[in-house]
Amino acid sequence: MKNIIEVKNLTKKYKNTKAIDDLSFNVKEGEILGLLGPNGSGKSTTINCILSLLNFDSGIIEIFGKKMNTNAYDIKEKIGVVFQEVAVFNELTVYENIDYFCGLYIKDKIKRKEYIEDAIKLVGLEDFKKYYPKQLSGGLLRRLNIACGIAHKPKLIFLDEPTVAVDPQSRNNILDGIKKLASEGATIVYTTHYMEEVEILCNRVIILDRGKIIASGTNEELKLLTKIEEKVIVEINDLDEKYINDIKKQNNVDSVSYNDNNLVIYFKKGKNNIVSLIEYLKKENIIYNKIYSMVPTLNDVFLELTGKELRD
Amino acid sequence: MTVFNTFLKILNKNKFIIIMYTVILITFAGFNMKTSDNRLSFVSSKPDVLVINNDENIGLTKDLIEYINKNTNIIDIEDKKDNINDALFYREVNYIIYIPKNYRKDFLNGLNPKLKIKTTGDYQASLAEIILSRYIKLANIYLNINNNEDEIIKNINETLKSKTNISVTSKLDTNNLSKATYYYNFANYSILAGCVYVICLILSSFREEKIRKRTVISSTNMRKYNRCLMLSNSLLAIFLWLFYVLLSFIIVGNIMFSIHGLLYIINSFIFTICALSLAFLIGNIITNKNAINGIVNVVSLGSSFLCGAFVPIEYIPNSVLLIAHIFPSYWYIQNNEIIKTLEVVNIDTLKVIFINISVIIGFMMLFTIISNIISKRKTKTK
Repeated sequence: MKNIIEVKNLTKKYKNTKAIDDLSFNVKEGEILGLLGPNGSGKSTTINCILSLLNFDSGIIEIFGKKMNTNAYDIKEKIGVVFQEVAVFNELTVYENIDYFCGLYIKDKIKRKEYIEDAIKLVGLEDFKKYYPKQLSGGLLRRLNIACGIAHKPKLIFLDEPTVAVDPQSRNNILDGIKKLASEGATIVYTTHYMEEVEILCNRVIILDRGKIIASGTNEELKLLTKIEEKVIVEINDLDEKYINDIKKQNNVDSVSYNDNNLVIYFKKGKNNIVSLIEYLKKENIIYNKIYSMVPTLNDVFLELTGKELRD
Repeated sequence: MTVFNTFLKILNKNKFIIIMYTVILITFAGFNMKTSDNRLSFVSSKPDVLVINNDENIGLTKDLIEYINKNTNIIDIEDKKDNINDALFYREVNYIIYIPKNYRKDFLNGLNPKLKIKTTGDYQASLAEIILSRYIKLANIYLNINNNEDEIIKNINETLKSKTNISVTSKLDTNNLSKATYYYNFANYSILAGCVYVICLILSSFREEKIRKRTVISSTNMRKYNRCLMLSNSLLAIFLWLFYVLLSFIIVGNIMFSIHGLLYIINSFIFTICALSLAFLIGNIITNKNAINGIVNVVSLGSSFLCGAFVPIEYIPNSVLLIAHIFPSYWYIQNNEIIKTLEVVNIDTLKVIFINISVIIGFMMLFTIISNIISKRKTKTK
């Protein structure tokens, strides 16, 4: 598969601070690439540089095999962007808003009408065509935001946290829409804070921190990077500090935390971890409500790699 | 076309503002034009005068009182200090003449006796003073020639008999010119407020950072886009101007078909273009829609009040007019006032109007330059 985006040695400085530090990566055709990183990691700066919304200090950015710049209108017509903030006209209806943004790309009225209808259908706004943005709920507004960004059927789509503060129904609708766009052949660059969305949607993930790539690969490849194999959570009321220290000393235990009546134990690679834990709890007569085991999530990978929660 | 169509849709959403400013223009201009009829016609006026005579009512004193009686409104107030002071304070009387005892005798003996005067100090009092001085001066002149009292009285009365007829020789249709001037002066507010407010609102929608970002990344050429936006705003301003000009033909009438009418139209056109450049400047500085209303009110109402759009310019203090020089409205209104009194139209008389128009064009260029600098700085900050 050919590369749709090629970023080579991209560096962007704000005064003496490097927002992006010698960043290189590529995005393959038809791929959904998840761009992860805590706030200030350089995700938005990277996207803004790729879209020529920001000047950068050094590096090369090629999209569809051509060098990207402000006047590269032939490249721009194949790109769709959905920003985190809803960017629509309050004075225009749902239909008129999509018509305006689609009209910036598609001049043919008949073709545009067809595209607008498709976009409305994709995000499920059929019943709200004549509504003004102020009459829409947060979820519907986000769907409109997406429709405005993808109505012209772009081949490359940037989605910057499109599901922030969205109700579950709208969220599912948006995720279904993104899957449909990908199935129709669009290449997607997706940034989000929601790990479960990345796991559902993305073929490949790049984790950024302080303007650098700290890990990249498929979900499975990333999970292999962590030394943690198993996360066990036990619901216990009032656990003495002594027991926590005892558990820490057990075989294969990497770390233990106890918050809000939840005892969380991270086990390194090994066998029968949960069995030995249950035996210990029984031996010490510790009463627990629930006990369950989980495989490490991307969030755990992220936490281990960056030392901070994704939402920090 | 996409940008222009959207511009029209947003304009349609804000049409109420234009309608509101037009209604204000029609209401206030119509009302004031009605009350300003015959503003330039000549009306004679008589001041209210009280005469307190302590002399004998005979001879020269009697004749002086009769003369005052004929040329002023004699007011009868009881000769008490409080009553007289109250009458002066409440402007029941403008001028009080105290004729001292033996005034007649002293005058005929050449002792030049003084009359005691109390006055409100306003223009009616000045008029009374002129009337009184006229008689005293004549009496002094004839006293120097002949000191016979009867002769003096006879000569004074004969001289006072001669009258001067005043007639306005101007061929100007002063009534309608006053109406047209009032209309176009008031249009200063409607053009500024309507044009600047609506354009700023529309610009703020298009230039909202989120929308601008989405437009910049689209395949639309930004130069073409900006040109289209500018053209759409210019069309709106010209349409608004054309509408107000047509309205002036209906409200003011025939005078608009004269050379004076043409001058009003040219002057207002230049001012509209200047208002357009001001709208672009404010639109570039202010992106917060809530702030636009306040800014436009300060600019349009402030400059209209200071420059004489609402109040006739002759009633505005010089210090205020000095400040008003910094507003294009001042030069626009000055031109309207000049056009009103323009008797002969030639290069020399039009020179002042052209100079004022040049100043308005200067303002327009200044606004455009500042607007471009701000716009470029904003783009560079990326």
